[in-house]
Amino acid sequence: MPRIPLGDWVNSSVDWLLDNVSWLFTFLKDIFTGAYDGINAVLQAPEPLLLAGIFAVIAFWLRGTFAGVLSFVGFAFIDSLGLWDNAMVTLALLLVATIIALVVSVPVGIWAARSDRVSAFVRPVLDFMQTLPAMIYLIPAILFFGTGSAPGIVATLIFALAPGVRMTELGIRQVDKELVEAAEAFGTTPRNTLLRVQLPLALPTVMAGVNQVIMLGLSMAAIAGMVGTGGLGGDVMESIGQLNVGLGAEAGVAIVILAIYLDRMTSALGTHVSPLGRRAAAKARAAKGLKIWSYRPQPQVAVIGIVILALVAGGMGMFGGGSDDAEAAGGGKNVGNGKKVSIGYIPWDEGVASTFLWKEILEQRGFEVEAKQFEAGPLYTALAQGNIDFQTDSWLPTTHEQYWKKYGKQLEDLGSWYDETSLELTVPAYMKDVNSLEDLKGKADLFGGKITGIEPSAGEMNLLKSKILKEYGLDQEYKVVDSSTPAMLAELKRAYSKQEPIVVTLWSPHWAYNDYKLKKLKDPKGAWGKGDGVHSLSRKGFSDDNPVVAKWLKDFSMSEKQLTSLEAEINKAGKGQQQEAVRTWLKANPGVVDKLAPVEGGSGATPAEAKQPLDVAWFPWEEDVAVTYLWKNVLERRGYKMNLKQMDVGPVYTGLASGGIDLNFDAWLPHAQSNYWNKHKDNLVDLGTWYEPTSLEIAVPSYVKDVKSLADLKGKSDLFDGKIIGIEPGTGQMQLVKNDVMPAYGLEDEYEVVDGSTPAMLAELKRALAKKEPVAVTLWSPHWAYSDYDLTKLKDPKKAFGEGNTIRTISSKNFPEQYPQLTKWIKNFKMSEDELGSLEAEIKDRGQGHEEEAVAAWLKEHPDMVGRMTP
Amino acid sequence: MSARLEAENLYKVFGRKPDQAVERLRQGDVREDQGDVREELRADGTTAAVIDASFTVEPGEIFVVMGLSGSGKSTLLRMLNGLSEPTAGHVRFGGQDLTELSDRELREVRSKKISMVFQHFALFPHRSVRDNAAYGLEVQGVPRAERERRADEALALCGLAGWEKSWPDELSGGMQQRVGLARALATDADLLLMDESFSALDPLIRRDMQDQLLDLQKTLKKTIVFITHDLNEAMRLGDRIAVMRDGRIVQIGTAQDILIRPANDYVASFTKDVDRSRVLTAAAVMETDVRGDEADCDCETALPDTPFSELCAISARVPHAVAVVDGERRLVGVVPAQRLIGFLGDEDDVVPGVCDSPRDKGGKKVISRA
Repeated sequence: MPRIPLGDWVNSSVDWLLDNVSWLFTFLKDIFTGAYDGINAVLQAPEPLLLAGIFAVIAFWLRGTFAGVLSFVGFAFIDSLGLWDNAMVTLALLLVATIIALVVSVPVGIWAARSDRVSAFVRPVLDFMQTLPAMIYLIPAILFFGTGSAPGIVATLIFALAPGVRMTELGIRQVDKELVEAAEAFGTTPRNTLLRVQLPLALPTVMAGVNQVIMLGLSMAAIAGMVGTGGLGGDVMESIGQLNVGLGAEAGVAIVILAIYLDRMTSALGTHVSPLGRRAAAKARAAKGLKIWSYRPQPQVAVIGIVILALVAGGMGMFGGGSDDAEAAGGGKNVGNGKKVSIGYIPWDEGVASTFLWKEILEQRGFEVEAKQFEAGPLYTALAQGNIDFQTDSWLPTTHEQYWKKYGKQLEDLGSWYDETSLELTVPAYMKDVNSLEDLKGKADLFGGKITGIEPSAGEMNLLKSKILKEYGLDQEYKVVDSSTPAMLAELKRAYSKQEPIVVTLWSPHWAYNDYKLKKLKDPKGAWGKGDGVHSLSRKGFSDDNPVVAKWLKDFSMSEKQLTSLEAEINKAGKGQQQEAVRTWLKANPGVVDKLAPVEGGSGATPAEAKQPLDVAWFPWEEDVAVTYLWKNVLERRGYKMNLKQMDVGPVYTGLASGGIDLNFDAWLPHAQSNYWNKHKDNLVDLGTWYEPTSLEIAVPSYVKDVKSLADLKGKSDLFDGKIIGIEPGTGQMQLVKNDVMPAYGLEDEYEVVDGSTPAMLAELKRALAKKEPVAVTLWSPHWAYSDYDLTKLKDPKKAFGEGNTIRTISSKNFPEQYPQLTKWIKNFKMSEDELGSLEAEIKDRGQGHEEEAVAAWLKEHPDMVGRMTP
Repeated sequence: MSARLEAENLYKVFGRKPDQAVERLRQGDVREDQGDVREELRADGTTAAVIDASFTVEPGEIFVVMGLSGSGKSTLLRMLNGLSEPTAGHVRFGGQDLTELSDRELREVRSKKISMVFQHFALFPHRSVRDNAAYGLEVQGVPRAERERRADEALALCGLAGWEKSWPDELSGGMQQRVGLARALATDADLLLMDESFSALDPLIRRDMQDQLLDLQKTLKKTIVFITHDLNEAMRLGDRIAVMRDGRIVQIGTAQDILIRPANDYVASFTKDVDRSRVLTAAAVMETDVRGDEADCDCETALPDTPFSELCAISARVPHAVAVVDGERRLVGVVPAQRLIGFLGDEDDVVPGVCDSPRDKGGKKVISRA
């Protein structure tokens, strides 16, 4: 059988199209993006609830009171999930795609209905469009249209055209032949036959087609998130990438709400625009009588309602927009010049509070601040290594004594900012006869023998386990349960609400003392030691690099009232809203910023090149999210504008090569992404490594005791069910595993490397971990899985995985010319493992949608980062 | 005033190479083995729906085309207004050759001069009764007020006054067809094409509609081509009837012609079940060979269009043969009782045999008098 080079033909025709008809694609792109920008601007402008009101009035008009109320609730729900902007992006995308789909499909459907030949030609084309897997044309769509809304619209369009054409054709063909003949018999022109007889009668079917177009478009809009279209699709992609089931569910529910709304509205619209539907509806209404739930206003009323809401929305949008601009422009006292400062923090309340306070202050002073969340141990390590600039939550001399001993030489103590601290075990006030640590003795039954602890790495836990329990003779009776601060607090809350006995590890200051009636257990033996002061520590040399900030920090102090009120504010705002809470608090406490950070400096220079907005594509992978948002934050301080687009690897390389995208920070080279790189390298520029080393590996959970190296896998295929869980087929790593690693260790006959996807691999890993089952997965470092789970990277004595990749920044060919300054900055950019890890963790903890806050927070912990990145 | 409709050698062939097929059919006619040519063509996948149809419809005449389904009558009808373009032949109406008109001119003719009533009514479900009736006028571009007035008139004419604002799906079948009829009449077209217009109705309603059509025709004097597969209907409505079989017109004549002088066995077998007493009139039964004095007595006489059944009644009351006189009381024929009985028995022009033992001389007397 001769090989038919279909692929080559397609490649060459794509090339030909690119070379010869690019004007057409540019033209189409302009139409698509123009329409999208317009609609999106309209949808994004009003207050969410006002627009929800407009949607509700439309539903009220088309379907009745109940539908109106439900619509409002649904859209308000989307808003409350914080997905409003993205939902509107998706809606805008969908509307544009639908409108274009209808403009194309209805005429084609009419044509097909009137000509059997056209119908015979169109049908297979539609089949082709509908069944061809979306990925296949998503990638070329980028080649032709660049990234952003255009390829998303094109992909949606291609997928959604078919039902429009089919249903139009069907609807027209279904119209009774005799009716058409009757029209002709009375001398009707073909055009009028179509307009006055066929289309009105086909309308219900055509509208069913419109409905299908919208539904399919919506399902496609989610997939289009892969090419940087953004919207809910982007959320879905990202949540899958990070195995964030909760966020995925939120985005999914938002899509479903949109879908149901659009479905019901278009089908109602169908009955309204078609004369037959109107007749049927009128009959049904007459039969049912008037009910409040099905009451529908006159169209005039509905239009008036919508117009009023729209006017209000427009007015508010104007004023709202104005004030936003004012805020953005009024940053004024720019001391930092976009200099990066990174702050590390332990997710303890006072740490969060002070960190975000400083983050906000420093940002107001023009620093680019990132706040990274750490466990106590890693925080000190990071600080000692200079990966973060400072942290504000060092409990000295007691709690963090061990860390200080270990790293003190590499650190600078910027002094204590809060002195009235204490560590303690705490019980609810309703535990009448437990007042002191001594009272715990013999009451183990009451407490189930448990002391609910916090993070095992916390100094307090160490102290508790090694000293306190022994001192009071409790170590036989009680077990200290390792968990986390949130878990401890949740447990406390649960027990408190049921009035159950509980004893927890706590410290002062803590907001829990404000919210609950709690009793600190007395420590007559003084085992906890003297109260610590909360110190700010910085890496060695920070005060030389950032004398201003160092001085601010040295002078920093907070009263208990200030601190607890700030903590309470943050706690009220909830996770991911810390910085907003700080802002709210700062409003209530004016002057704090100026007091804590007195200004002396001028404002940072904005390079001329910053005028052109940058298109930066990112993969929904942790390190890329982190670094991309980091750069976004830093560069925005310097006046750059960045458009972030979430995309898949293939599309990113294509986009970069075609110049549609300027930058990507996450090129794993020379191995992992070599196939992409080699294909496009003539049109790409490597701006250098910012992170190394990385490694590719196979990992197993650490409870799989006797597997430490790849060689150990041999003969254990039964244990792992003969499977190694892989990731996306075609990735460099998978090819490496299949072609080099398996043969090198003689595993190829025993194990099957299962193709899948990163999210699927992570899900499988999580599942196996939950059941304590053995599992072997392909993984890489850095990866958050290593910090979240106990995993063993299997050693690779034969070096079959080869040398590690480095993570590089790559850009389009013209980028260095266009952005000489930025190119220089990027080339000099480096991040340490701790910096990256902490930033990733920060972002992961904040959850999706709060990346910018997370970065801002992290930068506060790493105050020198801005300076390092953009000197 | 209505105009004359002429169809001349109309052919309609569906399928490949229709012109060749027409040629073969023409030669087949010469060869006189027509049926076979049609069968041959069918084997090739070519259907000859109408073969060599020629007829003339006089102004004000109801011309019925009768045939079983598949005989080509509907196709023939659609060639008359150009909905179906003849493969060969000509249609002339009011001096215009419709087959030579452009599409635009043809549409003009259809909108103004020819209207049509359909078997399944073909009312537009998305238009009210009034808008349906006004449809043809709307196509003509008549202003709204006028076309609604004329539509209402047409509806009133068809007995639908007061239903203007209803919707087609609210009406019974008979009423729907009245709307269809009103729609056709509203345009004041001279030629009315009716395609099995009453076939889908219940028998009683069908009869009502037939009566109404005849009633209307008395005043409107349209030229009507009416398609039906029901011979009784054909005989009731048709001034003249064309019987079609396998695409060909096998006989054209008045109801009595067809009944009394069927062109072939096929037509005869058709007419077998017809209730002759309903169709035949005195004119068809009477002997025109008269002496001249038959009507001179004071006895009851009949008119030429006196139905057969009434004629029998008269004959029973009159002692001699019934005299048939025209409107001006001029004698046109006589109907002996024997002849009546003969027609009833499908035995016209019989001479009664001689009975061996006559019990009654009456019959002989009549004969001798005739």
